[in-house]
Amino acid sequence: MTSGDTGRTGPLDGVRVVELCGDLGQLAGKLLADMGADVIKVEPPGGSSARTIGPFVKDIPGPNRSLNFWYHNTNKRSIVLDFEANELDAGILRNLIGGADIFLEDTEPGTLEAIGLGHESLRAGHPGLIHCALTPFGQSGPWAHYQVSDLVALAAGGPMRMNGYNEEDVAGAPPIHGQGDQAYNTACHFATIGMLVALFHRDVTGEGQYIDCSMHEALSCTTEVGMPYWFYKRVNVMRQTGRHAAAVRTERWLYRGSDGRGVLMFGIGRDNATWQKIKEWFQSEGFGLQFDEARFDSAAARQPGRGSAEASEIVEEARKFFEAHEAAYSYRGGQERGQSWGVVYSPDETLSDPHWHDRGFFVGTTGEGVESPALMPGAPYIFNTTAWRLRRPAPKLGEHTAEILTELM
Amino acid sequence: MPPLPLAGVRVCDLTWIIAGPTATRVLADFGAEVIRVEHEQAVDAIRLGRPIIGDAPTLNNSGFFNYFNRNKKSILLNARHPEGMAILKRLVAASDVVVENFSNGVLESWGLGYEELKRIRPDIIYCSISGFGHSGRDREFTTWGPTAQALSGLTFMSGLPAELSAGWGYSYMDHTAGYYGAIAILMALHHRNRTGEGQCIDISQVEAGIILNGPAILDFTVNGRSARREGMPPGNHAWQPAVAPHNTYPCRGEDRWLALAVMNEAEWQAFVRAMDEPAWANDERFATNECRLANQEKLDEHIAAWTSESDEYELMTLLQAAGVRAAPCQHAGDRFEHDPQLAARDWWQHLPHAEIGDCEYDGVTPKLSATPGALRTASPLLGEHTREVLSGVLGMSEAEIDDALAGGVLM
Repeated sequence: MTSGDTGRTGPLDGVRVVELCGDLGQLAGKLLADMGADVIKVEPPGGSSARTIGPFVKDIPGPNRSLNFWYHNTNKRSIVLDFEANELDAGILRNLIGGADIFLEDTEPGTLEAIGLGHESLRAGHPGLIHCALTPFGQSGPWAHYQVSDLVALAAGGPMRMNGYNEEDVAGAPPIHGQGDQAYNTACHFATIGMLVALFHRDVTGEGQYIDCSMHEALSCTTEVGMPYWFYKRVNVMRQTGRHAAAVRTERWLYRGSDGRGVLMFGIGRDNATWQKIKEWFQSEGFGLQFDEARFDSAAARQPGRGSAEASEIVEEARKFFEAHEAAYSYRGGQERGQSWGVVYSPDETLSDPHWHDRGFFVGTTGEGVESPALMPGAPYIFNTTAWRLRRPAPKLGEHTAEILTELM
Repeated sequence: MPPLPLAGVRVCDLTWIIAGPTATRVLADFGAEVIRVEHEQAVDAIRLGRPIIGDAPTLNNSGFFNYFNRNKKSILLNARHPEGMAILKRLVAASDVVVENFSNGVLESWGLGYEELKRIRPDIIYCSISGFGHSGRDREFTTWGPTAQALSGLTFMSGLPAELSAGWGYSYMDHTAGYYGAIAILMALHHRNRTGEGQCIDISQVEAGIILNGPAILDFTVNGRSARREGMPPGNHAWQPAVAPHNTYPCRGEDRWLALAVMNEAEWQAFVRAMDEPAWANDERFATNECRLANQEKLDEHIAAWTSESDEYELMTLLQAAGVRAAPCQHAGDRFEHDPQLAARDWWQHLPHAEIGDCEYDGVTPKLSATPGALRTASPLLGEHTREVLSGVLGMSEAEIDDALAGGVLM
């Protein structure tokens, strides 16, 4: 239960959270729990909706076998309460919230008010309560009761429109939904920011408050250059294969290695020192033999987007080099020579990179149907004083009901 | 204006480009005093970032810079000059937070690593965002957003099966590493409120991306199934939960799309009714989710034929009224001009900028009821607040500031 030499569970040691979330808000509760908050996850009798989302352990569904749930609910405790149908359970939920610092929920606007658990009612007698309501579109407005999935949210919010293909690569391709629930992730990042800002304010003043967190707003301001181009030029940037959307077509960044993996070439020899290293490397392997010609000496001439013959030739030689080597070889060789190159790994292929293991990034978790700990991603940040820790795996459904009820008495 | 929740928190902001400035933008939006320390000979490249308003870049007319740096101050300081470094250390002593997103080791090379920062101010909160973090064999490697997206698995998970990755068409991981920076700093501030202790925070941009794909990684470590397999990534079809229909469909006009997802049988029935019960929907090939998944290409063809005659906003209204999850695939202009939800929430804001003029902005989210954040000032001109900060925060006299200016310290 302790962390480092400070005896604390994390920077949020002592913060009590009641979480009532399905698949939308669960990451926000995890971020708090993983840094030491005591997060009590209230679930209806059938369990949080995320328990029905795969993949499942050995592909066998079950409330304690969802890997989506396992990942997003580390360090939380679970209590089952039939608060919508059962007065006693509704009272218990009210008591739990009464003893909490933060109430995090992702219910549809109005549903908690309808059962007497609206914010005004919860805050009466508990002025320090921080109540974060995370919804697809916010508590107000014409879309407040609209339903989404991650695809639908990412589309409405704007990020999806930035992703896609050149017409000549895939004719008529739509904007592409980057997978992994990134709309929900982005919404949870903003919900977490809101809760922590409110917590700071409460540290100073004792005052709680209500947080109306709209996934749609979170997404709309997470498209980098998309909004600036509209604000200042009234231009919508165009999606392109494997690179930033832009106002005009840009040079490619993504190439294929001999193993079929993508190589991300983000710039090549932008300065003369690293150009020298790239040139030597390529030439040692029989590529870029023309690079010794004086016309390649100018950094300006080498840059893509100038339409210069030099830039085109460099890109062509790079393409051939990448196709002749495994992607990771090109990635490492480029990085060792000062280029911010990458290799397109599948999420699980990150496990093959020893650097993350050097940092202790992956952690082992256990659960139903798994004989020995299975690795999963760990901390998004390393704190020196109060570290991220996996204190307990995601809870089984209702695992802590008795324990929590006892604490209440 | 209601009180700003982070009023009184001072941030010594050594960040540049996007990831670091995103973290400090969050703090500034909620009222922290964010002081960007800038240097004329190593200007933040985003000050030259397009779109530029005007004929040529002036370092103060980048719409890109303006977007990420509202509500902040800027001082010019030459930290390579011994007097400049002395002033910087005085600023550190007067700050709650120091944040940077240089490559690994840069701040140490200035003689300003965490040990020195802590010596100057024992409860300092120091947050560093770098590509690969401050430890590990590859810590000298570097990232831009797209690099982190590729290495973390995000690029791979965005695309049509058997095609080169579509990837993410913007630096999603610059935004997100910034969000994790803000989250970490806020957690450290709470911890300091409780205990008086500071913190050294090491964020790797790639790690912050890997954690966004947890279930896919568990699918491998538990089930032995790699995401790199036939049919993955599935384009706009569903990965998990596996449902159909789940896709984007072409609408009337050029490059107009409706995103639609049907998650269960009740929603399928509602969708069929909303389409006025077309004959094809009764085909047994579409009767259950399992059948629909097996016949997804044909299913998509039928739906596309239905959507292609209509406006996607009208379809959204119709379908949502029937309880079907659907929305247009909006670009920036759509959101600014046509999105009734953002308009109803008073999302779009304006602020005057000394050089650019009247500027448009996103609002602040989420909405806190008692202490909402607020847009107060446009992004700072280069060095705009040098005198104000040196006199107001560090107590330097006008004469001292004039001397420093003459000595090449404030440039």
